Amino acid sequence: MKKIYRRDRMKIYGDLLSTLRSEANAEKIVLTQVQLRIKVPFDRLKTYITELVDLGLIKDENSLELTNKGKQYLREYERVLDFMNRMGLAYR
Amino acid sequence: MYDVERITIEIISAIACFILVKYMTKPYRLTGETRYLGLPLGFGVLGATYAFSALSFSPLFDLANFGLIQLFLRAFAFLFLAATYYFSKSDKPNFLWNITLGALSTILTVLILLAITSPQFPWPDYHLTQTYVRIFNLICLSYISIHGLRSHIQQPDPTTLMIPLGYILVGINQYSLLIWAVDSSIFAFFSGLAFRLGGLAVFLFVSYRTFHSSEKRENK
Repeated sequence: MKKIYRRDRMKIYGDLLSTLRSEANAEKIVLTQVQLRIKVPFDRLKTYITELVDLGLIKDENSLELTNKGKQYLREYERVLDFMNRMGLAYR
Repeated sequence: MYDVERITIEIISAIACFILVKYMTKPYRLTGETRYLGLPLGFGVLGATYAFSALSFSPLFDLANFGLIQLFLRAFAFLFLAATYYFSKSDKPNFLWNITLGALSTILTVLILLAITSPQFPWPDYHLTQTYVRIFNLICLSYISIHGLRSHIQQPDPTTLMIPLGYILVGINQYSLLIWAVDSSIFAFFSGLAFRLGGLAVFLFVSYRTFHSSEKRENK
């Protein structure tokens, strides 16, 4: 059986921002699809989105567009994740 | 003999380690998880021991048991690195391993403090101590290399092969120094230092490529 690891908030934020970036070209971002992709319950997804808006990483809860700060954060996050992967360190 | 060459290599190694500390803090700063603190600590302590090594060749510094302190500190650095890799792999580490790593850290701390505060302590012969400590270092580095190679096998990617290679080179450095400790071969000694520089160069190359090459690509 595949083991499911508990993700911390940083990982969930990273996954959420990454999903929102990949959905940016879609006409409308459907939250249910985002929820399915990052695998979190809907109520918690709403909480995370509110937190990311408060942090200034997403413009607002309706457009779900990444701010420049959000894009910069996501780039740095992916770079560090890539580094950890190259270093052979697991981050789940 | 060859003091200038030795000092130069030690200084280069120390600078390389201190540059690496800057990159190694990034996983901890991103995740905030203390299990990743071992990387900057390990490379920081390693860099400090190389800097002390360079100083020890200077006639200005004369510290009793200097060699032993440096030897134990270096072992501590490799233990830190091995512990980081061990704790990174699982959310629920094995209780027995936790105890073992804790006991090893305690023993090394006691040995370092003893070497600093009690130079009159009846230490066994330096060459014998050196042999045991280098075997311990080799075990730590083998664990890290195997860990890295296993990660590479799980996710085959040429970029994940570089770091285990770097650790293997540092491992060969320890093995060469072990030969030097046993038969005082100057060739083994300098080959060991060259392998160490090679290993550190690999780490620097991977870090630079990850953080700066990707930055340049994105800016283009």
